[in-house]
Amino acid sequence: MSKTVLIVDDSASLRQVVSLSLKGAGYDVIEAADGRDALGKLGGQKVHLIISDVNMPNMDGITFVREVKKNPSYRFTPVIMLTTEATEEKKRLGQEAGARAWVVKPFQPQQMLAAVSKLVM
Amino acid sequence: MDLSQALATFLDESRDLLAQMEEILLRAETSDLAPEDMHALFRCAHTIKGSAGLFGLDVVVRFTHGVENVLDRLRNGEIVFTDALINLLLESQDHIARLVHAVAASDALPEDEGGPLLERLQAFNNDFDGRAGDMVKACETERVEVDVASGIAIGAEHWHLSLRFGPDVLRNGMDPLAFINYLRSLGDIVHVETITDAVPELFAGDPEACHLGFEIALRSAAEKAEIEAVFEFVQDAATITIVPPCARIDAFIALIDALGEDPRRLGEILVACGSVTERELFQALADQHLATDPAPIGELLIERAAVQPRVVEAALGKQKSAEERRGGEGKSVKVPADRLDALIDQVGELVIAGAATQLHAQRTTNPDLQEVASNLLRLVEDVRDTALRLRMTPIGEVFNRFPRVVRDVSRELGKEIELVISGAEAELDKSMVERIGDPLMHLVRNAIDHGIEGPAQRLDASKPARGTLNLNAYHESGSIVIEVADDGKGLDAERIFAKAVERGLVAPDAQLSTAEIHRLILEPGFSTASEVTSLSGRGVGMDVVKSNVEALRGTLDISSEPGRGTTMRLCLPLTLAIIDGFQVGVSGSTFILPLDTVVECIELPSDAQGGGYLRLRDKVLPFVDLREMFGLEDEPCPARQNVVVVRFAGRQAGIAVDELLGECQTVIKPLGRLFERVAGIAGSTILGTGEVALILDVPQLVQRAITNEGRERSTAAQSSASIA
Repeated sequence: MSKTVLIVDDSASLRQVVSLSLKGAGYDVIEAADGRDALGKLGGQKVHLIISDVNMPNMDGITFVREVKKNPSYRFTPVIMLTTEATEEKKRLGQEAGARAWVVKPFQPQQMLAAVSKLVM
Repeated sequence: MDLSQALATFLDESRDLLAQMEEILLRAETSDLAPEDMHALFRCAHTIKGSAGLFGLDVVVRFTHGVENVLDRLRNGEIVFTDALINLLLESQDHIARLVHAVAASDALPEDEGGPLLERLQAFNNDFDGRAGDMVKACETERVEVDVASGIAIGAEHWHLSLRFGPDVLRNGMDPLAFINYLRSLGDIVHVETITDAVPELFAGDPEACHLGFEIALRSAAEKAEIEAVFEFVQDAATITIVPPCARIDAFIALIDALGEDPRRLGEILVACGSVTERELFQALADQHLATDPAPIGELLIERAAVQPRVVEAALGKQKSAEERRGGEGKSVKVPADRLDALIDQVGELVIAGAATQLHAQRTTNPDLQEVASNLLRLVEDVRDTALRLRMTPIGEVFNRFPRVVRDVSRELGKEIELVISGAEAELDKSMVERIGDPLMHLVRNAIDHGIEGPAQRLDASKPARGTLNLNAYHESGSIVIEVADDGKGLDAERIFAKAVERGLVAPDAQLSTAEIHRLILEPGFSTASEVTSLSGRGVGMDVVKSNVEALRGTLDISSEPGRGTTMRLCLPLTLAIIDGFQVGVSGSTFILPLDTVVECIELPSDAQGGGYLRLRDKVLPFVDLREMFGLEDEPCPARQNVVVVRFAGRQAGIAVDELLGECQTVIKPLGRLFERVAGIAGSTILGTGEVALILDVPQLVQRAITNEGRERSTAAQSSASIA
């Protein structure tokens, strides 16, 4: 069974590239433009991994992760946050919210694939 | 993997973001920015950098990174906006735009040009570098080799990994097995010993906690940092000790010996030879920095190998920066324009089919059918409006590029000009928005270059030194009007006339009204500038603007007052596809007027027959007789004729017709090349009956009626000089 990954980022091109590379590696991908959009698209369905940007309109990544972690279905779902270099404070916030994995922007598609395969077998 | 589509999205996205950056930077020149603006500015650069990285556009990443650093310091309040900085950022924004443009054109990226800009940007980042430098200076260099050599436990011929996952890893969504599985991508796992000592009795412990430890032997040629990176996501929650194979330790010692004469700090040496990772060094440095009695770095590093790594990031006391939010951004979908065009075409056919249905239903006496048909027609109208609205974009999209133009051009010319934009929210068809940019740009440059005087000249004329340029847009009777108004010296009618005579455009003895003289600047081959400047003297004259506007079925109007300024008024139809029409009949033929232009309908007074003008509520109303104009004499003139009063660009005129047939939906079909130049006709349409009807060109008719009136119809032939 292929695994499903949710990618949440307000940059359409970033989503497209990540989505393309993940699909190429055999994952199913759901795309969302921001936290609110993502919550709507999740709606309780099973995902194996969530990749979320921090800085997004409507609902930022930290709030989104905090919200998603309230849902028992996603308690054990690993979360990768996309971050910048200067965000130790946000990293802490993200950890409090429930995100433990980080990928620093800008990244190459292979880097993202590596991070994903560390978390999803 | 085909990235071309994603790349197109990236290019689009970047252009939007760059426009947004420019807009905010320009605002920063005049007023203090709100924190949201600072964040938005940072985010623009950040998003471009992030996406560019995905496409491997390293030049863009490197340059944007420099910009981003400065913007980050700005939003954290570490530095403030100065004129020089804004200029630099605008130049940088231009450079990013150039780079993105080069990507779009698949040119070689112009890397060299970014260098000087980056250096200047770096000047704003200096403090930051200073801090990093201090950190490194805190290192102690003593007793390097000994410490390292004796401090690290020696394994067998394999890497030895000792993993103790913390109780929370499972709850964090981390699966130890996934990491160990991933480790195999670096080499062979020779042996895994699972440590179960910490597993509690059944039912006694927390079932969600992880109690397992692993001792792993790994055969791999990977560097230590690579192995450590496997566990980057659990490094805070787990205890991970990585012991190199003994051969490696020998290699480390040899490496450090070789580096012995190097003045580099110990930490750097250790990282350089691969025995310590940057993360370990950073943590150790941070601890040392905090300690009251700093221990030598070597000791600290050795301690690291045994003691559980602590989270030190928090202790660094980074300034708390509030999480930025930006709400209210409208959601949108990008759709290829050709699909929209196809939709509009189909809706056009639907409208025609709907009208035919309605017509046939009315001919029956079946009330149910009639009701259904009229319901259908109403729905078709709604669909039509919605479909047309899809193509509508705010004119602001075009206006947005002008603040920068005005700023740059006025600086170049040493003029002070304030740009006032109003009505940016007025909407018009997307295809118009794209095509109106160049003509507007020309008008704006002209206004700055020729219209508005220099400060000294303005003060002499007792005007404020700072000139004003107004860009205004508003809707008027089915059209959008765009005004470019300056408060400069106005058009010099005498000079224009003299020039026109010199160029052979008019006879020296021609009697022209002021308005007609002003219109001469729209003639091909006319240029008023006594000296050609770099700005407007580019070989493109006002005649090009005029023909561009005409191609869009629009008109260009000039009003100017000497010493007070000039206003250029562009009047464009809102859409090029479907309109509400008003049907009129002349001698058995049907014509359509755009309903928006119709003001009222009256009976043609018997004393005014034959065209010219009539009296409407004590005012003179010029009118044209279609019967006469188009030579429609097939059927005798009815006893009673009607006049449709139409209005365009603030002027009214009458159109005499035989009968009034009422409203109808009109899908505009272009006329063939043969009929393109027929005066008074703008297009054709298909009626519900299947007949073809011609759509009247109201602007032209109004112009013609007015010209006729002014000349007592004697020089009607001159109407070709009018612009419609």
